[in-house]
Amino acid sequence: MDATGEEPAVVLDGVTKTYRLGEPIDALSSVSLSVPNGSYTAIMGPSGSGKSTLMNLVGCLDRPTDGRVLVDGRDVGALSERDRTALRGRTVGFVFQTFNLMPRLSALENVSLPLVFQGVSRRKRRERAGELLSRVGLGERTDHRPNQLSGGQRQRVAIARALVADPAIVLADEPTGNLDTGTGDEVLELFCELHGEGRTIVVVTHERDVAEHAERIVHVLDGEIEGIETLGAHRPVGTET
Amino acid sequence: MSLRAIRSHPLRSALTTLGVLIGVAAVISLVILGASLQAEVIDEVGGEDATQIYLWNAPEDAQGPPGSGARAVFTESDIDELRGINGVEGVAPYAPIGVDSLGHGGDTVAGGDTIATDPSYFAEEAIAEGRAFEQGEPEIVLTPQAAEGFDEEPAVGDQVTITFDDGSEAELTVVGILDSSEARSPFDGFGEGSRLYVPTEPYSRTTTESVGDEQRVYAQVVVSAEGPETVESVGVDLEEYLETESDAATLLPGGFVFEIQTNEELLEQVNDLLATLTGFITGIALISLLVGSIGIANVMLVSVTERTREIGIMKTVGAQNRDVLQLFLTEAAILGLLGAAAGALVGFAGGYIATQFIELPFVAPLEWAIIAVCVGIFVGIVAGLYPAWSAARTDPIDALRYE
Repeated sequence: MDATGEEPAVVLDGVTKTYRLGEPIDALSSVSLSVPNGSYTAIMGPSGSGKSTLMNLVGCLDRPTDGRVLVDGRDVGALSERDRTALRGRTVGFVFQTFNLMPRLSALENVSLPLVFQGVSRRKRRERAGELLSRVGLGERTDHRPNQLSGGQRQRVAIARALVADPAIVLADEPTGNLDTGTGDEVLELFCELHGEGRTIVVVTHERDVAEHAERIVHVLDGEIEGIETLGAHRPVGTET
Repeated sequence: MSLRAIRSHPLRSALTTLGVLIGVAAVISLVILGASLQAEVIDEVGGEDATQIYLWNAPEDAQGPPGSGARAVFTESDIDELRGINGVEGVAPYAPIGVDSLGHGGDTVAGGDTIATDPSYFAEEAIAEGRAFEQGEPEIVLTPQAAEGFDEEPAVGDQVTITFDDGSEAELTVVGILDSSEARSPFDGFGEGSRLYVPTEPYSRTTTESVGDEQRVYAQVVVSAEGPETVESVGVDLEEYLETESDAATLLPGGFVFEIQTNEELLEQVNDLLATLTGFITGIALISLLVGSIGIANVMLVSVTERTREIGIMKTVGAQNRDVLQLFLTEAAILGLLGAAAGALVGFAGGYIATQFIELPFVAPLEWAIIAVCVGIFVGIVAGLYPAWSAARTDPIDALRYE
């Protein structure tokens, strides 16, 4: 419970993740973090710092070795694989650096994919996906395949897909990493808008420029949280520090 | 989505299904052939032919259709003796004779199969028009197909000119047209044909003097029993006579034996042959389907590896293991189904062409099409089980990292 009395979207409580590849390596050791509902959080750190592990845990892709991860109030470590998959599908929307769209599916089909696995009817899926593609400015390109779209457009399709199941958390891993500055800024603008609508945004990045769009930056180094930096004013997209 | 995956690699999918296709096509065309052959044999053997006994001789252990390899050893006096056996209704010697051509009304055609025999070779009801020829008369009986060979079809009462292979000619009167052109005994072969039947007297010219007076000899004989129930006893008496008292026993070359066969035995033989054939087909089918399923499994494994990243994406956005399993199993089942359906089409086409080619009635066992399709789906699913299972248990984190 945070100060507002509302349950946080994500809570990490003394989380340790150990990989056993010969010598046991702690990718994360005793990390505690709370991500309030409706917040915009950036997780920053160099490669190998454990930020990807952190993202996998928040995204219900992985379970902690020790400690507890609560996503939308549910203990991820205690769930069966099946329930964890269902929770992930409903609660987390993913945006990746490499977009990760299905190459053989159209933009509309890509966006509606998560709903397929939730048993939503075809008509409703198409309706909802169409709305979201319009929302990200691709209402005219619903039948295009990913290879017929530019990088920025592909990332917007991916964002529409992340939103289609109306998840509590949008989790973005280096969302601008494969984009030029202009289109990257458009994507970051979209995150700001989503945050403005009250969604919880978590962006994992190693670029300070990208992180600075958030309300606060969580610095991760060597598997531990080095510090949490709260940014006062919300920096408008496109301005330089 | 499974369909789309198949369509995105049309050549690969087509080659993958080839194994199943060939297996199913081979089985179906051979099954059609078998069924058609059986239908033909049952059609011929049933009814009037049930009382017939076929007699010829052949080298010991020889394989081949009835009558093949027979030597002319049955003399006229043997035929007369056979006629005297209790329960015998008629004995018809069967002697193919060489004929170059047949002329009618200024039109000359190739001779077709010309057989010198006895009127008892035809059942009365088998003659559609006219009557059977009489021994010693210049008369001829034609199958409808033989009559149709002429521009102007010869009718009962017409004269035809027959030219033998030694160049001599004879004028014969058409006295009968048969009701069908079907083979009348296994000696005629199978199926419809252009056949001419003439009396052995005077047209059968193979003779011997080695047993007393010069007399005709025949290689093949058709004996008709009075009824189906006497066939067996007649067969026994026949054999006893031939082995002990006959001229044929004297004339029979060393190493040759008498062959006595009833239609029932013939039917049994055909069924035995079909059973062997069926076993053989099943063997081919199993091997082919095995190869086909290995092909499908192989392609599915490649497909799963290629799409590791897609599997990761699907699992990340909420696909359960069973969703992924289902997707790949469906793909494998569709591959199997496509192969089997195409195989069934090819098989039916092949079977049809084969039966037309060897002039058998086309019998299409449609239930085999359904069996083929089920087998195809089954083979696809079995082949797809392991690849689909390995796809389903892919870890999404590893899969997304996969390049």
